[in-house]
Amino acid sequence: MVFSSITFLYFFLPIVLVLYFITPHKFKNYILLLASLFFYFCGEPKYTFLLIASIAVNYLHGILIERHRDTKAAKGFVVSAVIINLLLLGIFKYSNFFISNISHMFNIDIKFVEIALPIGISFYTFQAMSYVIDVYTGEVKAQKNVLNLALYISLFPQLVAGPIVRYKTIKDELIKRDHSFDDFAYGVKRFVIGLSKKVLLANSLGELWKFAIYTEQPSVLFYWLGAIGFTLQIYFDFSGYSDMAIGLGRIFGFHFLENFNYPYISKSITEFWRRWHISLGTWFRDYLYIPLGGNRTTKFKWLCNIFIVWFCTGFWHGAAWNFIIWGVGFGVILVAEKLFLLKFLEKIPSVFSHIYTLMIIIFGFVIFNSSSITDAIQYMKGMLNLLSIPIFSREALYYLGSYKILITLAILCSTPIPLRVARKIAQKINNFEPIIYIALLTVATGFIIDSSFNPFIYFRF
Amino acid sequence: MKNKIITFTFLIYLISILILNIAAPEKNVSESERRKLAEFPPLSAETLFNEDFFDKLEKYELDQMVFRDGFRTVKAITEFSVFNKYDNNDIFIENGCVFKMEYPYNQKSVYNLSKKMNEIYDTYLKGMNVYYSIIPDKNYFIKDNDKHLFIDYKDMISILNAEITDMEYIDVFNCLSLDDYYRTDIHWKQESLGKVVDALGNKMHLPNDFNDDAYVKKTFSPFYGSFYGQAALPVNPDVLTYLTNDAIENAVVDNYEYTGDDKSSQKVYDTDKLMGIDSYDVFLSGATPFIEIENPQNNSGKELIIFRDSFASSLAPLLLSEYSKITLIDLRYVNSKMLGELVNFDNQDVLFLYNTTVVNNSNILK
Repeated sequence: MVFSSITFLYFFLPIVLVLYFITPHKFKNYILLLASLFFYFCGEPKYTFLLIASIAVNYLHGILIERHRDTKAAKGFVVSAVIINLLLLGIFKYSNFFISNISHMFNIDIKFVEIALPIGISFYTFQAMSYVIDVYTGEVKAQKNVLNLALYISLFPQLVAGPIVRYKTIKDELIKRDHSFDDFAYGVKRFVIGLSKKVLLANSLGELWKFAIYTEQPSVLFYWLGAIGFTLQIYFDFSGYSDMAIGLGRIFGFHFLENFNYPYISKSITEFWRRWHISLGTWFRDYLYIPLGGNRTTKFKWLCNIFIVWFCTGFWHGAAWNFIIWGVGFGVILVAEKLFLLKFLEKIPSVFSHIYTLMIIIFGFVIFNSSSITDAIQYMKGMLNLLSIPIFSREALYYLGSYKILITLAILCSTPIPLRVARKIAQKINNFEPIIYIALLTVATGFIIDSSFNPFIYFRF
Repeated sequence: MKNKIITFTFLIYLISILILNIAAPEKNVSESERRKLAEFPPLSAETLFNEDFFDKLEKYELDQMVFRDGFRTVKAITEFSVFNKYDNNDIFIENGCVFKMEYPYNQKSVYNLSKKMNEIYDTYLKGMNVYYSIIPDKNYFIKDNDKHLFIDYKDMISILNAEITDMEYIDVFNCLSLDDYYRTDIHWKQESLGKVVDALGNKMHLPNDFNDDAYVKKTFSPFYGSFYGQAALPVNPDVLTYLTNDAIENAVVDNYEYTGDDKSSQKVYDTDKLMGIDSYDVFLSGATPFIEIENPQNNSGKELIIFRDSFASSLAPLLLSEYSKITLIDLRYVNSKMLGELVNFDNQDVLFLYNTTVVNNSNILK
């Protein structure tokens, strides 16, 4: 089930809200857990058992680590938990990638395994790993109540597309949390804004990439339109989903951390990654980069650590070489920035550092979104006018004209300007706020109904 | 206080739609979209665990959503008025007339149609009087509008003329204008086809010109064409006019889609269809693979075979007085390899009559 579906919006959500708020406090977690498992079951009936197995394994490992704290056994259990979680990912997400590469490397024919990628496995596996590692390091105590841990791992607002919520962030709220009209209304606003970002902006802008790929009138302008369209789409798709997750969490009394902070206003790639998918960046920092030694080691090892982290970041996004190149490419740029480029970027006028950052982001997402490296190279050649194609075509001009308002609006909304404006006029529109949000929900529903079923981009990771 | 209002407004909105969705009777067909709506999926352990059930459930709920048309209208208005987009699902409106963008131009499809027509000629039609004509879609009449995308009509006709050498081409592009088409539908208006009938008649050596006075005009309104539902926007409906006379009223229609008991389908104008999903189906009962129309008032023995799409349904009655029998073959629904079993090709006149949308999507022809 996806948030931008009629099933979720007008069946699942109202029923869960009513049941949750009429249920006495001590039973609220049961309602949320059942709702979360049903939510997952709707999208992945078979793999719901895998989710339950993951919960059981991580619960037991947490308990065992706690019981054998400060012994070698505890280390063994945390290693075992990490291996089991990574094995789950390896089997369900990466099997065919490895098979394909081994077959290619040794020129042998190994049959692909018929395994579908379970929705959200990358997210809930990382959440589960963070829990057992935190129990091992003593950051948190093991959760004794299996239902509370099950709720943490399977909580439906963040289950399938993040943000990757740390156990320590919500451990107290799993046991006791407050509900208020302020939180509920804040949650509604975040949810409706997120839904609108996904449905009104991301879905529409995503069409530009498809048009650019399938056109029979390729032009430099069209390639750029497609690339900019996808760059905006992925931001509004993913940040929209995070908004919805944070909003729904708040409605049920949970305070999730922010996952995006206007990444496209960054003046360097270093800054971009502090603002983009923050929960993933901090996860890799805390559970991979720092344990590897971070920057408190030799320069060579430090460089190796950076490349390992960015290899993993790329690989986490998808079992394909373009994701790995995308991740490692960012690693190279980040190293360059740390060594010398950042100082240079700070000296030049900010408009140039913005352009530098946006160009890398846009070309990066071309690699990210292409189905192969060859396609990515071909696409980038088109953008750089290396394909002997016209600068613009009638078709490209049509889509530029047709999408100009949407693109302008999306660019504006990827900056803090609308929020600043909203704050300034907040007093004036105060009384109209409920109407504005219901109107946005109505428009978003219109877009959902008019389109076919459209899953979130990040579900494939 | 404001937060309480937001909370309760949101809850009331969701719960109201939930209740209305549950309470609303299930619909089988969407009249505005001209299609069958999804049915509630079968529930079993197998469908549940194959992920099939919930996918189908979502489609069902999308189709059965209360105020579905209203929500689609909200979307269309947002696309045009807020985002200022040039089209919504390929639909756009110019001066109150609804258009569907036919794009991109598919040159391969034009070659494919030429090949198919030549194959049919070589197999069945050698030595016969064979003609072909192409009907422009509505977009042709606004093709000079820089805002929209259009297919290359000139190239399309050039290819057909170059590839099809055994048939005579009849140009009807100049016989038509935008006013000759319904504003809310893809089709042309029957009452505006006089020039087309004359153009065809001249080349096909038919003795009589089109005479408007020879017909009685009957009207039906409001006529909401197929584009009306797709546009989901308030557009004034059309008036559907059909022309009749004794020859048409007394003609006997044998429609292979219907059984002998269905009397309405045995008439040229199936007036039962006027109140159906698509009122344009009044002309020869709508889409069907094979129709024979016998005209007892014409004893010349002259016959016409039309390879056609839906545009010919409203044209054929206007040619009826010139023939004893007209056979209409729709290759979208009947395989061209089976034609020998259906028709005895002899010395009939043959007309291939397709609109440019079909020419651009000729893979739908069998």
